[in-house]
Amino acid sequence: MKGFRTLFWLEYRRSGAWAIALIGSLAFWAWGLFQVRRIELAEQLGIRGMLVAMAAVVGAVVLALMIGRLRGETRGGQYQVLLLSPPSGHVHIAARYTFALVTAILYYVMIGGLACWTLWMSAVPLDAGSITQLTLAIPLYVLGVTVLPLLAWTLLLMVFTSAYRVSGPGWVPGTVMILGTLFALRWLIEGIVRVSYTLPGWRLLEGVQAGVLQTTMEADLEPVATLPQEPLWIMLTLTLVLLVIASRIWREVEA
Amino acid sequence: MLASLSDVTKRYGRTDGLSNVSIDFPAGQVVGVLGLNGSGKSTLLKLLAGLLFPSAGKVTVFDGPPRENRAKLVYLGENDSLWTWMTPTDAEIFMKGLYDDFDVDRYRALLDSLAVPKRKTKAMSKGERGRLRLAMALARDAKLYLLDEPLAGIDLLSRERILQSIVREWHTDETILLSTHEVAEAEGLFERVLYLREGRLALDARAEELRNQGCSVVQTFREVLG
Repeated sequence: MKGFRTLFWLEYRRSGAWAIALIGSLAFWAWGLFQVRRIELAEQLGIRGMLVAMAAVVGAVVLALMIGRLRGETRGGQYQVLLLSPPSGHVHIAARYTFALVTAILYYVMIGGLACWTLWMSAVPLDAGSITQLTLAIPLYVLGVTVLPLLAWTLLLMVFTSAYRVSGPGWVPGTVMILGTLFALRWLIEGIVRVSYTLPGWRLLEGVQAGVLQTTMEADLEPVATLPQEPLWIMLTLTLVLLVIASRIWREVEA
Repeated sequence: MLASLSDVTKRYGRTDGLSNVSIDFPAGQVVGVLGLNGSGKSTLLKLLAGLLFPSAGKVTVFDGPPRENRAKLVYLGENDSLWTWMTPTDAEIFMKGLYDDFDVDRYRALLDSLAVPKRKTKAMSKGERGRLRLAMALARDAKLYLLDEPLAGIDLLSRERILQSIVREWHTDETILLSTHEVAEAEGLFERVLYLREGRLALDARAEELRNQGCSVVQTFREVLG
């Protein structure tokens, strides 16, 4: 992994402003959450929950844009410099991905913190276990199941298009990847549905639900389903496979 | 042989960037790669660097595929290729962290001799950025230097500084391939000259032989490519 430290530093210098802006944007979401007041408690929690979910989705999009931006560096020649540097594709991909991963963990853990703050504002009692689940376990689960594979896919898309764009018609790799994304999503959904869930699920939201029930007196809340383990392991494996493929294609990139 | 192209063709879609070219590069030459725009100069250098792969034929550098031997060669592309936030100190961190053959003392001496200012590249002129890139390239201890138009769009004084540095830093066991449109200024540097026309090798000549025949590199350029 020679050169990883330097490439990670480079990634920090390249994308640090994106990461800081993304994490800074949580102030905006916090402001939005704070504005949701003076309405019935259950509705207040619903709106706040939706805002937290929106912050999570926007974060995933920004992270994907951050890791996948390429056009400027291809035109500017920086991509050539990276391709000709001694570290292997594995190290380049690892450095780029690790920086996005660290940013993503920080962002989603802070969103978990926002969720806790939201519940606290609504006077929902939370024990230490629930706070840990909201700030660590659930953000990491969401990351593992959705954001990490998305980032790996974006990285693969970036490397693939740059590998086969120069010598042939540029629209071919782009079209392949768009169609590939659609088919991959379909296969993924079909695959996840067919998985036989045998591993014990994680009961992560029970404490939170109990607190909400106690505060809102809503007796008709659905009992919280356990979070299945299988999707997490499947998606983490898929992420790893995508990263390995991207590293391998890096050797064939032209610039 | 340090590097060679054997019947190499490079196609960009339906266009040939380079067509059926065979050239050998022994150690210890300064080679001028000359031609009009679109003649295949950059393609030739990129193939040798491993940035492009041949559509047909074989490119060998240090007895292997160029991309596998990329750590042993220096490629200076025609683009700026520096991040706008980079200062010469950042460039030093970057090069030192990635290249074992990067000589920090030589780099700092080159920064001084090339008068590179200590500010971010976005605040530098094109000439200053060109000089910084050259300092980064020449501070490496490689055997093959591929310099693609390092003089393009740069003022006269910067061009002189760059050419002087290339002469000063060149060692007899190193090979430099320099593509340029500033043929007259760089003429004195060349030991061998390749003239490319529409992706084909029009002439491969020793500069001294040309001079003995009463022709300068510039005159031959006009005759062969005009």
